[in-house]
Amino acid sequence: MPLMKTYLIDDDDLGIYLTEQLLRAEGFSNTICTFQSATEALAVLMREKDAAAPTVVFLDLNMPLMNGWQFLDALAPYREELRGHCHIYILTSSLALADLERSREYELVSGLIHKPIDRGEIRAIQSQLVNEAGQE
Amino acid sequence: MPFELSRTTAAFVLNERGELLHATAGLAEWLGEPPGQFTEARLLELLRPADPAHTPPPLEYAASGGVVGYKVQVVLRGEVLLLWVTLLPLPGVAGPRAGVYGLVKPASSDAATNTALLERERYLSIIFNNIADVTFVLNVEAAGRYRFGFVNQAFEKTTGLSVEKVVGSYVHDIIPEPSLSLVLEKYHEAITTGQRVVWLETSHYPSGRVVGEVSVTPVVDDTGTCHRLVGIVHDQTQQKEAEEELVASNERFHFALKATTDALYDWSVVADTLLWGEGFETLFGYQLPHNPTPFDYWGDKVHPEDYQRVVAGLRKIALATDTFFWQKEYRFARADGSWAVVFDRGYLLRDEQGQPVRMIGAMQDITERREAEELQQQMARKLLTQYTDLQQFTYIVSHNLRAPLANALGFANLLTRVDKQSTVFDDSLKNLQTSLQKLDGVLTDVNGILSVRDRQHGYRPEPVALAAVCRQALHGLEELLRECGGQLHIDIPPELRILGSRAYFHSIFHNLISNAIKYRSDARPLQINISATTSPAQDTTIVVADNGLGFDQEQAGDNLFQLYRRFHPDKPGRGIGLFLVKAHVESMHGQVTVESRVNEGTQFILYFSLYAADENLPD
Repeated sequence: MPLMKTYLIDDDDLGIYLTEQLLRAEGFSNTICTFQSATEALAVLMREKDAAAPTVVFLDLNMPLMNGWQFLDALAPYREELRGHCHIYILTSSLALADLERSREYELVSGLIHKPIDRGEIRAIQSQLVNEAGQE
Repeated sequence: MPFELSRTTAAFVLNERGELLHATAGLAEWLGEPPGQFTEARLLELLRPADPAHTPPPLEYAASGGVVGYKVQVVLRGEVLLLWVTLLPLPGVAGPRAGVYGLVKPASSDAATNTALLERERYLSIIFNNIADVTFVLNVEAAGRYRFGFVNQAFEKTTGLSVEKVVGSYVHDIIPEPSLSLVLEKYHEAITTGQRVVWLETSHYPSGRVVGEVSVTPVVDDTGTCHRLVGIVHDQTQQKEAEEELVASNERFHFALKATTDALYDWSVVADTLLWGEGFETLFGYQLPHNPTPFDYWGDKVHPEDYQRVVAGLRKIALATDTFFWQKEYRFARADGSWAVVFDRGYLLRDEQGQPVRMIGAMQDITERREAEELQQQMARKLLTQYTDLQQFTYIVSHNLRAPLANALGFANLLTRVDKQSTVFDDSLKNLQTSLQKLDGVLTDVNGILSVRDRQHGYRPEPVALAAVCRQALHGLEELLRECGGQLHIDIPPELRILGSRAYFHSIFHNLISNAIKYRSDARPLQINISATTSPAQDTTIVVADNGLGFDQEQAGDNLFQLYRRFHPDKPGRGIGLFLVKAHVESMHGQVTVESRVNEGTQFILYFSLYAADENLPD
């Protein structure tokens, strides 16, 4: 397993703790960075995107100040740079179909997962990443 | 004095005063009279030469001892008959002038000299029988009796009475009452005045009702005596009926005009004037200075913003196109200065060259209809807003309800997989509890919000003393305020009352004050000012202002009052306070807006209109 950095963006501290523990339980990532605000995550991502962009981003939708969609919109100018390196998964408690449909409009979004993330979903992401790495 | 003449010759004898002494039976027969009933009136016919230029008067001439012969025309069964009359003086026993002896024979044998006269008679006969007007000649007899001497074909056609029956009959046998009395009076008038008499008469004949203009002309001889009356009846039945129909139709039109509330007008394009129907004054409250008015009298009352489109537009349609119809909707000034919404449609009458001559049209006041439509649109907009709100509410509630549930599910799962002695296990158990508590909190919120919505339907406004409610709302918050060293100043007139719900105002003040405390700035002591002012129009504005952290209004956008929206992640809060404030204000038909600057403060402005509280728009 290569070095893999993961961002966890969620305003809910319980949610962050839970997701982090679930990922660790599956040995998902070496480095997990957690952010309780999307603006903060955006600032760090801008700084790191060239040298140390995260491989996977778990993004909550419903957050104050900047929500998940606004975060994705802010990334749109860097679409080309991030594609292939940075896989964004929306991790939301919402079951609304509208969110799923909207997520398909974003090229950088690799998938939408309903909270809580389970073992099967984590493994599916892992195998997808391995496949992509093998193709390159 | 015995004498008999052949059938072709008749004779009569007059005494010295010109009175009839004797006439042969043949004479009466010729003249269509019963035998032996030769009358004075017919006699007079025989003493009047056909040639008006004949001099001297034959009777006088004969009586004075001369012998005279002349032609006479009589009307017999609708035919003109020429007779040759010879008058001879009759030598008397006592003196030279005992009487006159008259010989009468048909003049037809006397062809050469009579041809011209006969020809003229024939033409006259043709004319009489072919003119549409009823024509008749009456012989004037003694004792106010009139006998038909001649009638034309039109008489028969109009009255349905045959010529044979009428000629020779007395007027009083032909014309029924009440017309009879009338015509006799008119005949008498014509005879006594010697003037033509004209009147309008309605008679009922076998052919139906006949309305005619009757004229009777007396024919007067040299002595001023009237022997005959010439009558002409101009049949006006059809004109009369058409006229009556026109009157009826005019009357209907008149009532239609009264029944319509429209302002009818007639624009004379050439004179550039407008003739107004009575609707104009009633509809718009004006008193017309004169009628018709100049075109501009109307044009000047059209709303300035509509003028170009309507007034200039109409002139263009009339003069520069060949259109017949024109219609526009526009605002029109009433006499009281208000604006009426008018629907105006007109029809242009054009001459053969297509030039406009007149336009007939009607202005209709559709203000009420427009207002009703406007109200309907308002309701539709309101419903749409509520629908959108509801959708958002559902989305947000589902999201926020599921968030703690998802966490609880996750921790429950994690607990089965981690070492029971680890800190992760302990933390997860604690977090499971917290998640379930949060879930319970959200359900409590939802219950509260739904009950506000439910109560709106049974909501009865009462006058709420604002200052008192504001102080009560402060009770539970005084300790918090004191702890942070904040100050609160209430500037609400003690007598000020607003129609609304006490509980709602309590909740509004409580939420706004606790928000101000929660989002205070540590850089300066908190200052909260609550004021209320009432405008002359009885609208009340409440302002709750603080000098706290404030927020970026541009970034917050419309989200500030939405459920579970939070703008200060570092401060505890559920994001329900402002949602409730808005829900409460709106359920009392008020409006709430906010103004804020980062690090300067925030002020909430609540606006209540007196009339909005009674508004009947469905919620």
